Parts: sequence; C-alpha cells; structure tokens
Amino acid sequence: MIKVENLDITFGGGAQRVHAVRDVSFTVASGESFGLVGESGSGKSTVLRAIAGLTPGWRGTMTVVGQTLSQRRDRAFHKQLQMVFQDPYGSLHPRHTVNDILKEPLVIHRMDDGERRILRALDEVGLGPAYRFRYPHQLSGGQRQRIAIARALILDPKIVLLDEPTSALDVSVQAEILNLLSRLAREHDLTYIMVSHDLAIVAHLCSRIAVMNRGAFIEEMSDEQLRTGTPEHGYTRQLLVASKGYDRAAIDQFVEFD
Amino acid sequence: MDKPLLNVENLSVSFDTPKGVVEAVRGISFQVGQERLGIVGESGSGKSQTGRAILGLTPGRVEADRIEFDGINLHKAPARTIRAIRGRRISMIMQDPRYSLNPVMTVGWQIAEAYRVHTNATKREAKQHALDMLTTVRIREPEKVYGLYPHQVSGGMGQRIMIAMMLIPGPDLIIADEPTSALDVTVQLQVLAILDDMVRDRGMGLIFISHDLHLVSSFCDRILVMYGGQIMEVLEAGALDQAEHPYTKGLLNCLPDIDRQQGTLPVLRRDDAWMNRKGGAGGDVP
Repeated sequence: MIKVENLDITFGGGAQRVHAVRDVSFTVASGESFGLVGESGSGKSTVLRAIAGLTPGWRGTMTVVGQTLSQRRDRAFHKQLQMVFQDPYGSLHPRHTVNDILKEPLVIHRMDDGERRILRALDEVGLGPAYRFRYPHQLSGGQRQRIAIARALILDPKIVLLDEPTSALDVSVQAEILNLLSRLAREHDLTYIMVSHDLAIVAHLCSRIAVMNRGAFIEEMSDEQLRTGTPEHGYTRQLLVASKGYDRAAIDQFVEFD
Repeated sequence: MDKPLLNVENLSVSFDTPKGVVEAVRGISFQVGQERLGIVGESGSGKSQTGRAILGLTPGRVEADRIEFDGINLHKAPARTIRAIRGRRISMIMQDPRYSLNPVMTVGWQIAEAYRVHTNATKREAKQHALDMLTTVRIREPEKVYGLYPHQVSGGMGQRIMIAMMLIPGPDLIIADEPTSALDVTVQLQVLAILDDMVRDRGMGLIFISHDLHLVSSFCDRILVMYGGQIMEVLEAGALDQAEHPYTKGLLNCLPDIDRQQGTLPVLRRDDAWMNRKGGAGGDVP
C-alpha cells in the first residue's frame, strides 16, 4: 500500500542545516497499522508530513497505492490519503461550524450528497446530528478530535496518517479515541501510519513498530516483540524502561544515543 | 507524620463567569510534611488551582478555613507576609520553561536574581551561587550555560534551570505543577531524579501536580486523586493496585498496557455520585 525507499530530508543550509530524516525505508501493507515511535526531534512527524505532501524538498522514492509520488500531489492522491493532527485546538478553524469543517473536503473534491455524508460521518465518530452546527469552542478536546477524524474519513480514504492523535487529550478521552480508531480501521479496512512518543499507545494500535532516533530508523519490530520486552537495540530498551515509570536506580544507567 | 509543613483545611476556589459561579476546588483538606505528595487528576479536576491557591497565585476567589504554613495562616496573612514567603520559603515550578523564563535575560542572570532578591548577597556572590546551583542540577559547563538566553537551551535544560532558580533561595516546600510534562520520557525521568535528590538531601516538602498516574505513583510517597475539585481518595505510593475508588480504577484501566494485548480499552464511566461528597475524602484532617 505504502512503500518508502531511501527517504532523506534536510532543512536549511550551511551551519543551520538540519538532517531531519536519514535514509529511511519501510513498507506498509493494506489494512495494516504501522507505528513510528521516537522522542522529539527524531524525525517521526517529518516522515509523516513528507508522505502527506506537507514537507517539500524530500529525496528518495515513495509509492502510495501503486502510484509513485512526485513533490506535488494531485487531488486524487488526497482523496486516498488523509491526516489527523495532534492538537484538535489548532487544527479546526475557530470560525467554522462543524458543518463547514466537514463540508470543505466535499466541496474541494466535488462530491455530491453532502448532507447525507456529513450526517453519516458524524454518526461514525459517535457524535449525533446535534453537533452539526456547533463551533469548535463549544466542543471538548475529545469531541474536537472526533470532528478531525470525521473530516479525514468523509472522503472515504484508504490511508489515514495519525500524528500523535491523543497526546493533547486526557487519558480517559484517549481511550475513547483509540477505541474509535480501532473500530474505524476494522469497518473501513483503513491503513494507518501513527506517530507517537508513547510506546504503550503504539503497541496498542499498531502491529508493526519502527523506532526512530536522530532521523534514522533504529529498529523495526512487531508489537509482540515490544510487549515481550525483546527489542534488540539499547535505545529501544531504554525507552521501554523509561515508559515504566520512575526508578531512581535505572535513571543513572541512561545514556545518550547517537 | 510529625509536624506538617503545610496544613490546608477546607480549601475552595471559585470563579465568577457570565454563566454563573464555577467551583474549581470544592472544600478539600490535606497536609504536607517532608515528603513527596502527588496530586493527580485530569484537566479541570482542580489540581493546578489547588497548587496556585496555596501561594495566592490564582485569579479565582479562594476560601479556606486555614492554609497554615509554619504557624502562619497564608489565607489571612497580609500581602507583605506572603511576599516574604513566596519564592523564599515556598516556591513553584511551572510546566513550560519557555514561558516561565524571561526571554531577554540570560538564564544565569535570572538564577542569580532569584538569589539576590531573597538575600543581601552581592552580585559576585549571587553569581557564584548560581554557578554552583547549575552544577547541582547537573548542567555541564555551567560557565557557558550561565550566559545563554532561554531560547538557546533545550526543554530538558530549561527545566533544570527552572529547578535551579526555584531551589536557590533554599525553600522548605516546592510546588511543582506538571514540571516535566513537556519533556521526552528519558529526559523527564532525569529531571525528576535531580528534583528527587535535592528534596531528599535538603529535607524539603514537595507537592507534585501531574496528570500521569503511573509516574506519580512511582515517584511520590503519597497521592491525592482529584476529580471535579474534590479529593476522591488518598493512596500510598506504589499501592495503585489497592485503589478503591471507581474513578481511580477507571483511570488506571483505560490506559493501554504495554505488557498485554487488549482489543478494546475499558472506558471510564463517570458517576454523578462522586460529586456529592462534602469536604476532603482525604481523612487527613486532624
């Protein structure tokens, strides 16, 4: 479904040059959920944004649904691939009602039957028609993220890119959104690529996980391998230890990885 | 607990809004000794307002029978008394160093200033103290970092600078409001370790406010679980599995567990009955 080969991204030039992504390759099968984990600055979100066409100037080869991607994306590409962003407070237009927000992709893609599609999308994310004419500030964080998910799904895409979709939410709301994402993936046979800094969340939703550090893939493994605590690389093991909570003795063993 | 550092009785914080009065904190009572006390809750639970009310840093209306610190009732004390305590004897570490540091002053100058306003030290003494403090929070090359501006330091280093600044007057009690939530996990734990060591070595009290139940239970000695401005229950550290309140249990269950595969995560069911308690459920009222 998605094939990325030798993806390489740099920002800036001269002394300011940042090598954000270093020679990253991976494939994601149809219907699979693939997770990218790493700390801030590891390049995980940049990979996602490059696939979505939000990061210009990448080098390498990317193929999505059999089509080799160029720097510019056409409308047909975006109909197949949509994205959900981290912060539902920033990703929804504050002066647009839910109806406007959900209608916009339909207008861009000249899809008919808007009324029915909007009501169905609202229903699918667990919000009834009562929410249709509300503004984002009248919604809670979890409800906003549901709207962002509805906006991504209203075009019936095959692939959804998730950039830390629950990290701005309370844990109880996070559980609801994760359950919603699992159900939608099943019902619509969606392919996900999810970026997160939280190993437990990625292991929950994804069946294959890649760990990134300083722009490069450190290792790729199944959720089972992560669960049973058998990652090969020291960096992944350290992340795993850190995710288990405060342990004074273990912290003194932490090292920097290059 | 021998003599508590801080004794809070029947604390309430409310806000007047166009839609009526919002009660952020509803009559809670608790004590803090020379220990690490965690306050956990989701957004809107009143945990941050509780921390701020102690130092009079909330714009809301604070009501309390007493907020007693070293024999002084902070709630009734004149502004002058509070100013002598705030920063000097009780200090507060905020969430994001990028917003809490002055962007146009070097970080070293800011740490030295924190020392100078609370002592009669000369500039040179204050600088030496600031450099020592930077070393204590494990910053390599303190001389170099002293001259940096806040935008030139990483999040982890910024938070260590904040800790240095808050600890340099030698306070008795520290209120840390989500001090590490903006940091990566490994950096987060390293910063907590520094805070932990200093609290232990100097015999300070720490109020650690966080949304992260697992982190708090592995870090603190005692935990207050807050919901809707009330204390739902008080737990001993590491005794999360003995939590009895359905809210605490629900919060724990809805976290994805890295050790096992779960199809669907249990969702927290809120119960209106939780809101009907009067006073703190803490049981710590003397």
